Amino acid sequence: MKYRIDVNGAARDLDVPRGTTLLDALRDDLGLTATRYGCGRGQCGACFVLADGRAVASCLMSVEQAALHRIVTVEGLGDGERLDAVQRAFVDEDAMQCGYCTSGMLISATALLARQPAPEEDEIRDALAPNLCRCGVQLRAIRAVERAAREGR
Amino acid sequence: MSGFGGAPARLEERIRVDADGQVTAFSGKVEFGQGIRTAFAKIVAGELGVPIERVTVVLGDTALVPYDMGTFGSRSIAQDGEILRRAAAHARVLLAAKRPLVGPIPDLIPGEPAPPAAGPRRVEAADIVTGRARYVADLRLPGMLRGAVARPPVRGARPSRVDDGAARAMSGVVAVVRDGDLVGVVAERQAQAVAAVQALEIEWLRPEVPEQDTQSIAIRDDPGVDAALGGAATRVEATYAMPYISNAPIGPSAAVADVRTDGVTVYAGTQRPFGLRDEIASAVGVESERVRVIPLMPSGTYGRNSVGDAALEAARLSKACGRPVLLQWSREEEFAQGPARPACTLEIAAGTNEAGRLVAWCYDEHTNAHGSGGARDIKIAPFTSGRNAVPPYAVPCLAVTLHIEPSPLRTASFRSLAAAENVFAIESLVDELAAARGEDPLELRLRNTQDPRLRAVLEAVAERSGWGARPRGEGHGYGMACTLYAHGTYVAQVAEVTVAPNGRVRLGRFWCAVDPGRVIDTNGVRNQCEGAIVQSASWTLLEELKQRDGRVATTGWDTYPIATFRDAPAEIDVHVMGTQSEAPTGVGEPPGVPVAAAIANAVFSACGARVRELPITADRVRTARR
Repeated sequence: MKYRIDVNGAARDLDVPRGTTLLDALRDDLGLTATRYGCGRGQCGACFVLADGRAVASCLMSVEQAALHRIVTVEGLGDGERLDAVQRAFVDEDAMQCGYCTSGMLISATALLARQPAPEEDEIRDALAPNLCRCGVQLRAIRAVERAAREGR
Repeated sequence: MSGFGGAPARLEERIRVDADGQVTAFSGKVEFGQGIRTAFAKIVAGELGVPIERVTVVLGDTALVPYDMGTFGSRSIAQDGEILRRAAAHARVLLAAKRPLVGPIPDLIPGEPAPPAAGPRRVEAADIVTGRARYVADLRLPGMLRGAVARPPVRGARPSRVDDGAARAMSGVVAVVRDGDLVGVVAERQAQAVAAVQALEIEWLRPEVPEQDTQSIAIRDDPGVDAALGGAATRVEATYAMPYISNAPIGPSAAVADVRTDGVTVYAGTQRPFGLRDEIASAVGVESERVRVIPLMPSGTYGRNSVGDAALEAARLSKACGRPVLLQWSREEEFAQGPARPACTLEIAAGTNEAGRLVAWCYDEHTNAHGSGGARDIKIAPFTSGRNAVPPYAVPCLAVTLHIEPSPLRTASFRSLAAAENVFAIESLVDELAAARGEDPLELRLRNTQDPRLRAVLEAVAERSGWGARPRGEGHGYGMACTLYAHGTYVAQVAEVTVAPNGRVRLGRFWCAVDPGRVIDTNGVRNQCEGAIVQSASWTLLEELKQRDGRVATTGWDTYPIATFRDAPAEIDVHVMGTQSEAPTGVGEPPGVPVAAAIANAVFSACGARVRELPITADRVRTARR
């Protein structure tokens, strides 16, 4: 089936089987591998993307549904070379170990700061709770989101 | 010090300096989030006196780096960090003398180690936050197919009959592969491979499970333990238990294999690239020299990548279809097919005299095989399945027996191996002894150890947490635990908890004092400590891999909850007190080891509930509080 979806500000054409998930299309057809597979059930946050500014699980969204939204992945944050405030804050706070779940955290943090530019710690914990991290960088990620809020203003 | 295999490490295998001044350092260790690429780059740049940007670190590629046993035991900085340091220091001398960078690396370098170079906190950070970083499952090779494997209903079952008619006819399917007991599908797309595997009709033969005996190994067997316990002024006996848990990586296992007649290339997340190379060679029937293993970043797996399941399967699929294959395990496969951390039952009896000095200690550790190779070997087991079974205290009369019991589940390596279980039992028991004597558990610990570095971390964590002055009780408490981890890292911790009326435990602040010898990268040490504490608190409060007759009942995060952003401690204070004159001893594992006892002891101080079985659920707290 042919679809056209809006990813990172550009219209992208796809020819994929009906029912293909946005996650598979991003990774296998569009070469955007920052969005990662973790569970396929929307339970871990590794595959989060922005759909019209909200963090959603791309493993649960079909390409057909995705065509109705503006999709942004981690590759679409910042402007290629220059990091945006959230990316820079995660680097500055060293808020990562293996980094596998970092993309999903960046997406959740971006969505949070768009709707709440000065979040309390509890709001950050709630907003990133869907993002599982086994390495245990949660406290660093909280500091990173706080820093991004300060520096992004 | 020698390199591996007895041959001295050679400079040309470790450091290359190009005409334009670019430096490449080579190590058989691998990076999976613990930050060794950064630490190695800082060490090499520091010794050579060049900016860190000029140093590239090549890790684990079997075609490029010298042989290495594997990345485990928190040994990377101690082993290869030290070899690279001497290599770089020696290279600097040779470069100044305009001599070629070849020959053995000297065992001793005159003078003090150079300070590590300044640089970013993590050299991979910018690639990770932009999505440029390539993890194993991100690799896309020309002509690459996707694989999926049929899983037996019980472990070890073998396919007797396979009807693949429906699967072969499905869209995108390139081949159904049958290679010995492996049945799988290769297809153009991931979803197609998975759907086709589900369409296979397979009859399975129940496995014949060989009977395995319990193997008992006396680690310490001082005479007269029973008599000494009988004569103790204070004596406590207790049994502790921990369930099976899963390494539970966020990214399930994945590998890419390209098996060609002229050579085999495998991209994998592995802790043992050279071991995996030999296993791949044997699986596809070629000489080891024809196989190249290239480690790519996996998700953190905390020991799980000591066994290369996905890589071996991907290689067999690739061989059968003659094209590169990416095999991505599902979440369910990772829980059900991946190895688990062993369960354990831990029996201790210990006693003190009137003055509160330990007089006898008798410990029986019942567990399953920890570790991936030689797990039941009588020479190896005391350091793996029996790791840290001997308490770090001065005990005149000590019996420690390791019992390795058969397991219905597959078990392998998980961060710190058996140290986490043993230290949970030892440090809980010390807390129980102090309670029985009506004294501060810190005093009891200090009285029973002369080791100045253990005393130092205990005193430091007590001071930073305000240990003595904090009020306890009414659902709010503090607990302490410590370890001298296997090879020499000292850790002492204090946990703060609140216990709700319904028994639910919440972490408050957490204090950690750590002495890992010489510190290369203070931020790296902190990050490892914080992460190990969060992860180990998750084991302690939440985790249990449910199984029945050897079949794992956990399939997703809904049935295997781990700590989220809401569960992480309020704050973690890491006090890095490296002893600069001592060799570096590693921090990947040690800081997770005392966590369970620190939390259990805090729960006791908060509400009088002594929970001796993990996870510390609200139910168990309520039962123990009665």
